[in-house]
Amino acid sequence: MKMPELKIAHMKPKWPIIQGGMGVGISLSNLASAVSNAGGIGIISGTGLPVDELRSHIRKAREKTQGAGYIGVNCLYAMSDFAVTMKAALEEKVDFIISGAGISRDMYNWGKAYDTPVISIVSSAKLAKMSEKLGAAAVVVEGNEAGGHLGTEEPLFDLLPEIAEAVDIPVIAAGGITSGTDVKRALDCGASGVQMGTRFAASSECDASQSFKEKIIQAKETVLMDSVVGLKGRAIANNFTESIKGDAKLPINKCVSCLKKCSHQYCIYQALLSSMNGDTDNGLVFSGAGVDRVNTIKSVQEIFLDLQNEIAYS
Amino acid sequence: MEKIQERIAKIVSERLGVDESEVKKDATFKDDLGADSLDVVELVMELEDEFDLEISDEDAEKIGTVGDVVEYIERHQ
Repeated sequence: MKMPELKIAHMKPKWPIIQGGMGVGISLSNLASAVSNAGGIGIISGTGLPVDELRSHIRKAREKTQGAGYIGVNCLYAMSDFAVTMKAALEEKVDFIISGAGISRDMYNWGKAYDTPVISIVSSAKLAKMSEKLGAAAVVVEGNEAGGHLGTEEPLFDLLPEIAEAVDIPVIAAGGITSGTDVKRALDCGASGVQMGTRFAASSECDASQSFKEKIIQAKETVLMDSVVGLKGRAIANNFTESIKGDAKLPINKCVSCLKKCSHQYCIYQALLSSMNGDTDNGLVFSGAGVDRVNTIKSVQEIFLDLQNEIAYS
Repeated sequence: MEKIQERIAKIVSERLGVDESEVKKDATFKDDLGADSLDVVELVMELEDEFDLEISDEDAEKIGTVGDVVEYIERHQ
C-alpha cells in the first residue's frame, strides 16, 4: 500500500509514525533523534526530568538530527512541574508539545505564544472534540492496549473510527500497535498516523538500560495496575506489580511531590527510575499490550525497514 | 449575590443533567453531581462565557464544590 502523508502543522515526516513519549527516562535524546533521523517523529519524555536535563536533551537531539526532522516533548498534566517543563520545551523551540494525563486548557495558549503546535492525548470523542476546539494540532487516540497510564477501558479499534469521524484534525492511533499490519489497520480505520512506544523501547537507541530492553523482549503479557495518580496503568507483571496488589503500601524513601495529586501508596517515580536503571523485577516496567510481539532488540533504522516491509505485505 | 448563585445553579443543572435543587453550595461536582473531569472542564468553559472571565488551569483545579464556583465568581466579578 502507499503510505498516506501525515501533516501536523509544519511537520511532514517521511513516515506517519510517531514514537511515543516514554517516561521516566526511556525516551530521551538518543531514541527521539534516531526516530527522527529514520523519517518518523521523535518524542523526548519530559516526565520526571529536571528542567536543565530536559533542555540539554533537546539540544543533544537537535545536534544528532542536525536541525532536520521533528522532535517534540511529552509533558504530563498530572506532574507538579507541568507548566515549567512545557515552558522550557517551548523556549528550546521544540517542534511540538504532546500532553496527556489530565486536561489543560492553558497549554494551547502557551503553544500559540511560541507558535508551537500542541498535540493532545485523548481516549474519547468528547475530549478529542474539545481538544480540537481549544486549538490542538492533532490528537493521539490511546486505547486500553497502551502502556503506562490509561484513560479508557475501550480497545483502540473501538474508539478510533468514532474519533476519526468526530474531528477534522489529524488523528494518530496508539495502544498495542507493534507491526506494519497494525499500522495498516489503523490507517484503514481513519487514522492519519500511528504512535508506537513499546516497539521502540526495544531498540538499540532507546535511552533505558540494557536489562530494561531485555525485559521488554522477554515479556509475554502485561497487567493492569493501580497508579498513584488515580488512573490504571499497563505494565509488565513482576515483583513490583505483585507487591502493590490491593492496598499494600510500600515504603517511600523520599517524596519530591512530583505529582499534583498522589495516593502515596508507593513512589511511582522511584519505581520507574529503578526499572529504567535496570531493576526490572522491583521497578515498574510500563509496557503496551503488544509486548509479546516485540521479541528482538533492533536499531531504529531496522525497525523502520521491518515496518515498511510488513506494511507492504499486509 | 443571590443572582450569581442562581445563574450557576442553572448552568450546572443543565450541563450535568441534575435537578437545580441538588445544586447546593456544599455539593461536590465529582461525587455528589456525578461529573467527570471532562464535565468539569466544560462547565468551567461555560462559566467563563456566562460571567465573561478567564479561569486558569490552576484555579480550575481548585474547584471541588458548587460553593467554590460561587466564591470564585463573586471574587472575580
